Amino acid sequence: MLDKNRPTTFRGYRRPDGTVGVRNYVAVISTVWCANTVTGDIAARVRGAVPITHSQGCPGVPIDLEMVSRTLIGLGTNPNVYAVVFVGLGCESVGTKQILEMVEQSGRPVEFVCVQDSGGTVQATARGIAAAARFAQFASELNREECSIAELVVGTKCGSSDSTSGPSANRVVGFVADRIIEVGGAFIIGEICDLLGTENILADRAVSPEIAKKIFTAVGDYIERGRSLGLDIVGSNVTYGNKKGGITTLVEKSLGAVSKCGTAKVTNVLDYGDRVSEHGLYIIKGPARSLELLTGQAAAGAQLNLWTTGRGTPGGNPLLPVIKITGNANTWNNQETNMDFDASGIIAGTVSVEEYGKDLFAEMVRVASGKLTKSEILKCDQLMDIEGYGHLI
Amino acid sequence: MEVKRTVLVHESDNVLTAFSDFSAGEIVSVQLDTGDIEVELLDDIAFGHKIAVRSIEAGSPIVKYGCTIGKATQEIKIGQWVHTHNVGDDYQEN
Repeated sequence: MLDKNRPTTFRGYRRPDGTVGVRNYVAVISTVWCANTVTGDIAARVRGAVPITHSQGCPGVPIDLEMVSRTLIGLGTNPNVYAVVFVGLGCESVGTKQILEMVEQSGRPVEFVCVQDSGGTVQATARGIAAAARFAQFASELNREECSIAELVVGTKCGSSDSTSGPSANRVVGFVADRIIEVGGAFIIGEICDLLGTENILADRAVSPEIAKKIFTAVGDYIERGRSLGLDIVGSNVTYGNKKGGITTLVEKSLGAVSKCGTAKVTNVLDYGDRVSEHGLYIIKGPARSLELLTGQAAAGAQLNLWTTGRGTPGGNPLLPVIKITGNANTWNNQETNMDFDASGIIAGTVSVEEYGKDLFAEMVRVASGKLTKSEILKCDQLMDIEGYGHLI
Repeated sequence: MEVKRTVLVHESDNVLTAFSDFSAGEIVSVQLDTGDIEVELLDDIAFGHKIAVRSIEAGSPIVKYGCTIGKATQEIKIGQWVHTHNVGDDYQEN
């Protein structure tokens, strides 16, 4: 039940396809890695433009090309994107034509710049800047409007975790996850390695036997893939460092990580590049690396990310504002320049998970409504990539 | 004097996590679902490590986050250090 002290709205940018952005970017997106230099130069020259660069697009095995195409469509239609300038080389294997069509169908302004057809990088950059500049001026006339929190899709990540992460910061995020889903929004976790040992618990929370099966399959496939690459992920997940820090078992480590997703029923398990379709809790079959995971969450339609850290990590993502949360008092005190939310009172015994949860929810609404986070302000949010199963070619 | 920190994640847990370094003989207070108790530490406990706050029979679950995280490989007394020397990681792939 909602009480009147909880915020129920935020101020966002309404898109033609009905979604709502918490930022208002002109996304300059490489269809293939060969275009990255041009993409970066265009975005650097235009205020309000963000460069979406990556290492994929060509060559690639069919499964990767298909996943990358879906991801590029998802990135181009991310709610934080007002318009897109796609930059391609001209001979890439990824389905550029289909990507452009799908993003155009969302009602967003789209322009395509082809490096080879333009006569090279200098000319392509000039054309891209002209297009991005035009879009940026239109974008600047759009105003934020009052929107329901039910329109938020929020992702989470933990990075540089320590023994404080599970018992403190992750539980605070879990509180917020429950609240977002309760009011009709969606929440996404990824990092299948973090689920190892909790699949029975999560499967019990699945909305249907079909989704429970998908959870077991996602974990089983992950373990098998590790084996095929010579990695015993089950035997090696709890590292020497983890044990020295107090983590005893695989399940203990994973329960700490999975605390981030709260207690809601699991609505679906998504392939990387898939889109969230309705409110609920989603698992993305994504890696632990933030480079690819946050991109996958952005492609799924997330507008922002709640990222917990124990020892402190400064990163972010070009499309998703990241709120960096730590439950480690030393990390908050020593690295406050890169941290957004202090949850160390749980360890100190002075503040409860619920009290911090309400504060974090309110901070999330402020960030959704325009407040910049540390990784945005300090431009630690530039690095990203798109997942691929491997460069076989 | 330094204030010593611990966290009981879930009131049904049988282990408490230390967030200070403790010495054997120190007393910690815990609020379990069965009531408040005082536990005398039988071992030195390092930051991030676990203390038994209920007696745990050999073969019984170690409970943290309200869930089984492993099984005791020997009897564990209240106040003892709980870690790889007396816990089996019994995760089975599905």
